[in-house]
Amino acid sequence: MIFEPVSLNISQVSCERDDRLLFHNLSFALRSGDILRVAGPNGAGKTTLLRMIAGLFEVQDGVITIDQEPLSERRHQVLYIGHKPQVSRDLTVIDNLKFLTGFDEPVVKQALIDVGLRGYHDSLVKELSQGQGRRCALARLWCSEAPIWILDEPYTALDVTMVETLDRKINAHVAQGGLCLFTTHQLPQSLNFETLELGRVD
Amino acid sequence: MSIEKRMLARELKLAAARPGDIFKPMWFLMLVISMVPLALSPDSVLLADIGSAMIWVATLLALLLNTEHLFQSDFSDGVLEQWLLLFLDRPLAWLVGLKLIVHWLFHVVPLICITPIAGLMLSVPTDVLIALLMTLVVATPALTCFSGLGAALTLGSSRSGILGVLVMMPLFVPVVILAAGVLIRATDGSEILPLMALLGAFSLVAATLVPIAVSAAIRLNIGGSN
Repeated sequence: MIFEPVSLNISQVSCERDDRLLFHNLSFALRSGDILRVAGPNGAGKTTLLRMIAGLFEVQDGVITIDQEPLSERRHQVLYIGHKPQVSRDLTVIDNLKFLTGFDEPVVKQALIDVGLRGYHDSLVKELSQGQGRRCALARLWCSEAPIWILDEPYTALDVTMVETLDRKINAHVAQGGLCLFTTHQLPQSLNFETLELGRVD
Repeated sequence: MSIEKRMLARELKLAAARPGDIFKPMWFLMLVISMVPLALSPDSVLLADIGSAMIWVATLLALLLNTEHLFQSDFSDGVLEQWLLLFLDRPLAWLVGLKLIVHWLFHVVPLICITPIAGLMLSVPTDVLIALLMTLVVATPALTCFSGLGAALTLGSSRSGILGVLVMMPLFVPVVILAAGVLIRATDGSEILPLMALLGAFSLVAATLVPIAVSAAIRLNIGGSN
């Protein structure tokens, strides 16, 4: 699948939470093919920024647009995977993914094979290890049709093999004309990304 | 697969995966009812007098027990926020309504189904028992909606259970008063239809408006969380 060229514009966005200024007049633009790592110390507002772009946190000050259109019109082009588990512990791996993606069994099964969960289709998520649960949540990327990926701490609990698989997937996604924003505290080796440092409000 | 089918399939599987959530309130109800004659008096005339009211209150408490955490696990797993992102072409209130309906069917109806046994244990007369069943069927949709709203309002706070119930208490009161009115009239043998109609109206209004309030509460809590 090749995506239409897409652009994400963040202009003059400020955010204050609980009387603390997290970032002020933040502006940047991303186009198809870009990968941006949002970095900063704990509490710098990385998650808040990602949730703003995903449309889960209200933009109080400033404008976020996708292809010059307001975010609310284009939310179907955004895929957000937060740092919470994103899957229900009491459901099987495949039921979780069928619900989250809306795809039928064959597509979802292929995605599970791609993330190394072959043979775990009918396991309950609560029976999996933390890393396997994370793989299950990330399997959505393998069925995604959204050009803009927003991933909050995608590398948490993943082993070396899965980190490489995820890097390859992100690279393939941006090569198809998608774009990706993510946060992490460990530096991915095989991604060609820019870094945005938060937490330097003076 | 349509969004509604996806939602329903997931809710049914969740209900099947957590049988404890269905059976625990039923145990609770039976436990309370079986304790009443021990604590009060085994006198069947007295028990028949107060039985229906006891069962009603015990059912209300059992219902609160299984509704107070209605949205909690979806919220803490981060699945609830995906509802907002994935199902853009459906109003959130509609999805909330579906969840409430499934919850009522799988967690409240079983409770209503065992109340006749409770009625026999307290030797409640048959005509009063029928009135009791009717009030429960008509009133529990409203009670489910209200306690669901309490659960949604207190999603963000850590000890949400009892707080949600407290917040919603004023809305439970008229329902309980109306239902008690029906039971008294049924005991006297007078007309119960007008009060039943009022109870029904209460449930209809709740089922129409509460999902909108619940969806606003969910948005509020998701907007304020990380």
